[in-house]
Amino acid sequence: MNHPTEEQLILYHYGEVEGRDLIASHLQGCESCRTSYQALQRVLEAVNSMPVPQRSESYGAEVWRQVSGQIVKATAPRRLDFWQLFQWPRWSVAGALALLVLIAFLAGRFWPQRDSTTEPLIAKSTQPISRQARERVLLKEIGDHLERSQLALIELINSKTNGVVDISLEQSLARQLVDVNRLYRQSALRLGDAGMASVLEDLERTLIEISNSPSQLSSTEFAEIRRRIDTDDTLFKVKVVGSQVRAKERETARELAAKRS
Amino acid sequence: MMEESDAALVTRAREGDQDAFRLLVERHSVRLFQLAFRMTSNEQDAEDLVQETFLRAYKQLSRFQSRAGLGTWLYRIAANCSLDLLRRQKRRGDQERAVEFDSEEAFPAILSGAPAPDQQVYHGEVRQKVESAMRELTPMERTAFVLRHFEGQSIEEIGSALGVGPGATKQSIFRAVQKMRRALEPLVNAIP
Ligand SMILES: [Zn+2]
Repeated sequence: MNHPTEEQLILYHYGEVEGRDLIASHLQGCESCRTSYQALQRVLEAVNSMPVPQRSESYGAEVWRQVSGQIVKATAPRRLDFWQLFQWPRWSVAGALALLVLIAFLAGRFWPQRDSTTEPLIAKSTQPISRQARERVLLKEIGDHLERSQLALIELINSKTNGVVDISLEQSLARQLVDVNRLYRQSALRLGDAGMASVLEDLERTLIEISNSPSQLSSTEFAEIRRRIDTDDTLFKVKVVGSQVRAKERETARELAAKRS
Repeated sequence: MMEESDAALVTRAREGDQDAFRLLVERHSVRLFQLAFRMTSNEQDAEDLVQETFLRAYKQLSRFQSRAGLGTWLYRIAANCSLDLLRRQKRRGDQERAVEFDSEEAFPAILSGAPAPDQQVYHGEVRQKVESAMRELTPMERTAFVLRHFEGQSIEEIGSALGVGPGATKQSIFRAVQKMRRALEPLVNAIP
């Protein structure tokens, strides 16, 4: 046979080459290929010298301590699972619209006041629950929306590919999220929360792109979508804003509890 | 008592048994840390990756199929988490953090017997070269190479884990090996 290429030798080293026996017998007979293969082996052996710091036996328990808080939170009282995302009762445009009434009402507190006529107008039509209690509901809903979006994106970028990637499930999720997202973004904008609006805008662009793409993607097309999600840092930003909203929600809950007691 | 299998623990964890998931975390953390460290060359990043991997795994538990083996499945998730992280770091030019890692100080040589001082110097030099060559790899090259070289995963498995075709996976591995050769060959071929 001809001298094997460098690529064939690399595959040979990892036991993934076609015609393994042919290459083996060539290496026996051809000194220059043998020398070059030995050089390759030496390099790859040297790579093994890369040290990895040791972790003790208790490391696993330590990791559990770190993740268990978040896992317990995810499990109870409501466990967020990809499939359950489709069955969320309040998760609809109607639900979001109802919330926007709350958003407008709470504008003066959570967001800087822009339109002073909005608040009393809507306040009149709202039930007399405390403002803080309503704020908490709102924060929870936005937090949920961000969490659902985050999960949908994670599911998407982790989709399994065997040449063709079917993203139809993630797509139908994305379509529903787009509508809700648009409402939140518009009101965030109106209420002057530019940071929130900009993250929601990035998220919306990504969701629209997912919704509009074909549901069967070649692995190249899929890699491109993944790359774009990654380049825009959408996932990261959604995560950060999401945890800010969650923190604020917890704080409000604490204040509420303190008031009650 | 016989140790419960991963599959049995996954079944229990899916039913909401957190203790079962705890056992899985305890069982797989050390190995995942090794993978994560090879991906990042940074202890803190590696620890963060291990946590993120288990959190993602927990959320996706319903999609785990037992024929893949839990270890393989976790490495897939970890590989994707590190790919994300490496890409983020690359974009942010967050390299200065990685540079503070000093392999010589952090890890005493694990050499058999008592090596001659010049041999120690040589090993130290090789390690540093490996370290810096690894940093020269693109996120995709590094991830694919670590999975192939250290984890022994097949090109097909790697491609499917990272969502790229076998051709692209091979190319990433070839480029990684070529970069390692360029960096290391002069050094390793200098020894008798
Ligand atoms: Zn030859």
